[in-house]
Amino acid sequence: MSDIAPSARDFRRVTDEIVDISLHYPDRRAWWMCFIPALLLLLSFIVSVTVLFWYGVGMWGNNIPMGWALAISNYIFFLGIGHAGTLISALLLLLAQHWRNSLNRFAEAMTLFAVICGSLYPLVHLGRPWLFYWMAPYPNTMTVWPQFKSPLTWDFFAVLTYLIVSILFWYIGIVPDLASARDRATRRRYQVFFGLFALGWRGSARHWARWRQSYRLTAAIAVPLVVSVHSEISMLLAAGPINGWNSTVFPPYFVAGAAFSGFAVVSMIAVVLRHALGLRDLVTPRHLDLLAKLTLLCGLMTAYGYWAETFDTLYGSDPQELETMRDRLVGVYAWSYWGAVFCNFVPLQLLWWYRVRINPVLLFLISLSCVLGMWMERYMLLVTTLYRDWLVSSWQRYHPSIWDWSLFAGVLGVFFTLFLLFVRFLPLISAFEIKEAMFEEKERGEGTGHA
Amino acid sequence: MEREQAGPPSFNRRSLLQAMAASLALAAANGRRAEADERALPYVNAPEYVVPGKPKWYATSVRFAGYLQPVLGKSIAGRPVKLEGNDQHPATGGATDLFMQAALLGLYDPDRSQVPLHLGQPATWAAFDTDVFRRTAEIDRTQGQGFRLLTGAVSSPTLLRQIGDMQKRWPGMRWHVTEPINEDERLEATGRVFGRPLQMLPDFSAPAAIVSLDDDFLGPGPRQAMQARAWSKRQPRIFMAEPTPSATGTRAGERLIVPSARVQMLAQAIALGVGVTGVAAADLTAPEKKWVDDAVGALGAGNGLVTLGALYDPALHALVLLINERLGSFGKALRFTDPILAAPPDGKDSLAVLVDDMKAGRVTTLLILEAEPLQATPAALDFRTALEKVAFSVHGGLYADATANACHWHLPLQHELESWTDGRAPDGTAAIVQPLIRPFLNVRSSHVVLDRWLGGTASDHDLVQASWHTGWQEALLAGFVADSAPAAVTPTVRDRTVPLPQVPSSDGLVVEVRPDATQWDGRYVHNSWLQETPKPLIQATWGNVILVSPALARERRMENGDELSLRFGNRELLGAAWIMPGQEPHTLTIGVPDSFGFLDSWRQPGVRLEKTGKTRVIASTQPMQDMGEFDYVRTVESGEEAAAHPKDDVSFYPPRKWDSPSWGMSIDLDRCIGCNACSVACMAENNVPVVGAELVAHGRQMHWLRIDHYTHGEANAPRHHFQPVPCMQCEQAPCEMGCPVNAAVHSPDGLNLQVYNRCIGTRTCSAYCPYKVRRFNWFEYTGQDPDSIRAMRNPDVTVRSRGVMEKCTYCIQRISGARIAAKIAGRPIQDGEVVTACQQACPTQAIVFGDITDPNSAVSKRKASPRNYSLLEEANTRPRTTYLARVRK
Amino acid sequence: MREPTPEQRIFGLMAEFNRPERLIEAVRRTREAGFERVDAHSPFPIEGLAEELGFHDQRVPWFTLLGAIVGAGLGYLMQVYTNHAFPIDIGNRPLVTPAAFMLITFELMVLGAVLFSIISMLGFNHLPRLNHPLFDVDSFRLASTDKFFLVVLSNDPKFDQRHTRAFLHSLDPVRVDQVSQTEEPE
Repeated sequence: MSDIAPSARDFRRVTDEIVDISLHYPDRRAWWMCFIPALLLLLSFIVSVTVLFWYGVGMWGNNIPMGWALAISNYIFFLGIGHAGTLISALLLLLAQHWRNSLNRFAEAMTLFAVICGSLYPLVHLGRPWLFYWMAPYPNTMTVWPQFKSPLTWDFFAVLTYLIVSILFWYIGIVPDLASARDRATRRRYQVFFGLFALGWRGSARHWARWRQSYRLTAAIAVPLVVSVHSEISMLLAAGPINGWNSTVFPPYFVAGAAFSGFAVVSMIAVVLRHALGLRDLVTPRHLDLLAKLTLLCGLMTAYGYWAETFDTLYGSDPQELETMRDRLVGVYAWSYWGAVFCNFVPLQLLWWYRVRINPVLLFLISLSCVLGMWMERYMLLVTTLYRDWLVSSWQRYHPSIWDWSLFAGVLGVFFTLFLLFVRFLPLISAFEIKEAMFEEKERGEGTGHA
Repeated sequence: MEREQAGPPSFNRRSLLQAMAASLALAAANGRRAEADERALPYVNAPEYVVPGKPKWYATSVRFAGYLQPVLGKSIAGRPVKLEGNDQHPATGGATDLFMQAALLGLYDPDRSQVPLHLGQPATWAAFDTDVFRRTAEIDRTQGQGFRLLTGAVSSPTLLRQIGDMQKRWPGMRWHVTEPINEDERLEATGRVFGRPLQMLPDFSAPAAIVSLDDDFLGPGPRQAMQARAWSKRQPRIFMAEPTPSATGTRAGERLIVPSARVQMLAQAIALGVGVTGVAAADLTAPEKKWVDDAVGALGAGNGLVTLGALYDPALHALVLLINERLGSFGKALRFTDPILAAPPDGKDSLAVLVDDMKAGRVTTLLILEAEPLQATPAALDFRTALEKVAFSVHGGLYADATANACHWHLPLQHELESWTDGRAPDGTAAIVQPLIRPFLNVRSSHVVLDRWLGGTASDHDLVQASWHTGWQEALLAGFVADSAPAAVTPTVRDRTVPLPQVPSSDGLVVEVRPDATQWDGRYVHNSWLQETPKPLIQATWGNVILVSPALARERRMENGDELSLRFGNRELLGAAWIMPGQEPHTLTIGVPDSFGFLDSWRQPGVRLEKTGKTRVIASTQPMQDMGEFDYVRTVESGEEAAAHPKDDVSFYPPRKWDSPSWGMSIDLDRCIGCNACSVACMAENNVPVVGAELVAHGRQMHWLRIDHYTHGEANAPRHHFQPVPCMQCEQAPCEMGCPVNAAVHSPDGLNLQVYNRCIGTRTCSAYCPYKVRRFNWFEYTGQDPDSIRAMRNPDVTVRSRGVMEKCTYCIQRISGARIAAKIAGRPIQDGEVVTACQQACPTQAIVFGDITDPNSAVSKRKASPRNYSLLEEANTRPRTTYLARVRK
Repeated sequence: MREPTPEQRIFGLMAEFNRPERLIEAVRRTREAGFERVDAHSPFPIEGLAEELGFHDQRVPWFTLLGAIVGAGLGYLMQVYTNHAFPIDIGNRPLVTPAAFMLITFELMVLGAVLFSIISMLGFNHLPRLNHPLFDVDSFRLASTDKFFLVVLSNDPKFDQRHTRAFLHSLDPVRVDQVSQTEEPE
């Protein structure tokens, strides 16, 4: 039957629960207690970027051979997390998995903000960031164009497309709920705000029909988009001749890893929101169960990626690749490799048990471990590959500088600021889709829906 | 005098150059603001024969430890921007070393002393002249008693003439010389054996085998360019016995690692082996015996040379002379002439006598010219205390350092590149040094200082010209005075007694002192190019380390960077440990600059070693040097064996036909001695910035061309390899594919280009480069450069700003210049017309550059050798820079 | 569906229902009764409702396809054109490489498809339209919460104030409201 609790199976109740959070936020103090630190982190972001732009990339810990380091590993990390939101929104929609309706709004919002955060990095890490727009193809007096065979140009288009598609997909998905908020708002400010962004949505059946066409087509397109974007991001590393990167398993491995880290983050957000805002009847243990299963599934796929890489290296017996592999396991940065292996895959195994999956605290902790593990994996991929690459004479140590870390904290601040604003002011669960699912299940339960 | 000019010289041109250079006048005591380059260029009345942008070449010399090193100075708009070797010079034939290349920076160094100082305060020359005038009256009265002159080693006829004039006027005056690293022992040995001191001039191109007893003749020093060039002609086999790895040792076919105390035994054994009589039997260990047998066997085939490191006992040098006599190398592999550097009255005790007299109060006036006794003399001498007893002390030099601050007067002197002076090259050939630029600081030449002291008013030009009566113009055009080397002497042995000292029994640790490969005796501490150049076998910059053997490091559990405390007597030296594979187990090596405050001699047994527990950051350009199982530097058994691995030259893409010219480079790893002349030449030619110790330690050095040092084999007795790594200019460059903005692209003539003004600094090219030759401007390294550094820059090469990637370009500015010249002349570019900076600088001619589509070009011939291979072949980048494998000797 | 002009004082009549099934049945009966200018409003999309209203518009999917073709074409041709306009040797790779160009082609195909899809959807829906006569009816507020509305427009040929109102009452709604025209006549 329906995934939401019986007590909630009432159109009005659902709308009340969700939309009223936006209009009359229940626990302002708790929200401010989260928002102030987020703003402080945002301040760290502003300061870090200012220092970086003022003095130069040298403020970070990079050197030669570590031209790419924490900035790029964080970029991949943030972007990867985002993909899970799109998968929940789009893939599960197409598979008619109604339980996704309780999750897709904030999961997709998480995607949006993660992509925004991630795409800050390619802009600020440039040596001459004020010229970032040269990666875009536009006619210019130099008559030069971007170099289209470069993975970075692919990246420019892929991330731009992903950002735009995510914004649009999320936005047309939220319009009906904005209309709901508009209709229920009592204060003028909110009426104007929601009224503007609801575009005058009336719920007309004809509009719904076109809306559904567009929404489902966008969803159908978004799934291969996700695969292509994170495959392309893996090509940033895999397209070069560097050992440890130049592996054909990278695209699927990265996509699996991205989905894995993303589902873990969505699980964490789901646990926190349902507890903080009393949404237990909409985000039920069944949702936690399913999210945990997805996390487990993607985690196992990511584990396959590790295994495939190891097997390929040993089977190929290339001395350079063997050296990179050996160093990953026992070298200076072995903590990142083994940390990733442990944090990713060991607590994950607890999710085989139903009781663990539906336990919010355990799910949160396991998901946190997975997120940390994936962060370490991205770090490991960047650092262990470059710091010891082809020539022994290039081998050099790396450690991020204080400005690397403060920027990371700052970007997290960007994420939390945006997300907290979303939680406070926008309907964070897709009320109308829950109602739609409730109706459809009832119809099916009562025979074919014909009047 | 400008080399390419035909017709009679006109010294009006000099005054025109004066006008150009005067516009670069920099801040002087009266506080005039320095004028930027840009204002110097647009001429209203252009000087004759100057085409803006077209360089003029002047043959001159720079000075190192008293010797002249011949250079051609490239001058643009009236200021020198590059020094190259003088290919016509009989001693060097165009070879250079890193000190010659870095001398350019010495001229433009913003740290140079700019005004006379009196008791530390800025003063004027006029005030000094007045003071000296008063002083000379005093000296006149005492007939020079109490007046001393201290200089470094001198080969300048003009300076010697002036010293002679001083001694004539003041018979009580005495001249002293301090040159820490010198050949006094060899001179004493020849004095004993032949009855008079003679200069030993080994010819390393002559013998078939060289046995070197701790003589690093290919290593740094004033003779490096000459000796390396000679050796590279035939590359005779080398047998080396040494306690610490050296450049020469890396070229040796058989390298024996022994403490320096064993060298005497080895010399005795070799002497016995070749048949020198009256030599005591040597007691050798098995490996020593094998080495001696092999060496004697190679020498016995005829045409051999035995050489001993300069800093050994004269009696041992005498034995080696007898060995060479027995081998018949006198007059062939070993020549003799009269000494090239002038000997001061007290010979090798010159400095000791001076200090004694100073301490006893017998010195009332001391003039120090171009010597730094407070920094470069053993602490035991205590020059500082002695100096305090001198009533009137004057120091003249390029920098106002410790010695200057301890004297009453400091005089800023001229650099050779802005001076008239003269001297002799290491083979004895005399040369006249002509300035490339008029002095832009308030400085004087040493000749002028002495002349004023004597009450004269001549200019340095007139003083030098007075020493040369004929051949002035020819000398200036050629860069040397033809046939001016002292005649070869065929000596006869007078004294065959060789009183060898007792070999001290050595247990415990011995400290060996070696010249610092980039600082010499510490005199280049201000030269940032030399400071940032890594010392070849260590790769440390901005300071030296203490070399320890792997065995000792294991025993004492030391790691690279551990701070060590060495104690001898009541003196202590603190330094960072560096584990040197191939170091003798109980020998520690320190650099000469570190030795002054610590030791009194060149080797010291009985030193105590402790770890302090702290660690020091070593600003190393290459922390890891063990080649392991990789084959970056390949060795083949003979010149016929193929070094490249046979492989299917398979590619997805059809083979490409390149138009002529298409550029390539070949580097012969057998010839490379790791001297770093190429690296410094590249810095000079391409305006490569210096980043400082902290950033080098961070891995952000900017060298476009680096010399990698690898050890291969077991750590106690490895083989050492040098591998110069410029940009490989790959035909299938991964960097080009990675750049998103078309800043890394390929030119039709085979170059991998870096377009600075298009680069946005994504650093993808660096991430994809398997060779890591690309360097990034992490900060703004060049925007704040002082005016004098800007004046030094090569105007043909873009100066890069922050956020931009840079790398070796095969000296594209030179290729471009040659292409333009060829186009104007309507002919193709000739082979050898384009010489890259590194190729020109290399003393052993290890680097050859040219058109690979022309099968007759020098580079094509090198690449046709079976020894030719590419670095990292398996990366499939098809590099244009290839290497010739080493041949096992 | 064309709406009544500002001259007509009455925009239409609106019937409110509590349950979505009731709305579906009401729509069917209204259509059977011959009304054409009929609209239904619900808080969530109801499958099949638009078909009942006679909606068979497939323009959005076609525009999506068009957008995909335009995007892919622009993407691929842009890369081919720029490489021919300023040909540069990049690592000795071929000037035009379909393999390397595919990713941007795909991404722009996606972007084109989605942009065309969403913009055409909004365009054909005539959105944004912040003002609409229906919003004047107070009870319409709940259209986004839990109430379902059927509207018959006044420019329907069979519209008659009294008869249509009676007809709507026969559908057993919660209430029937009159929707006034909010636009001023020119």
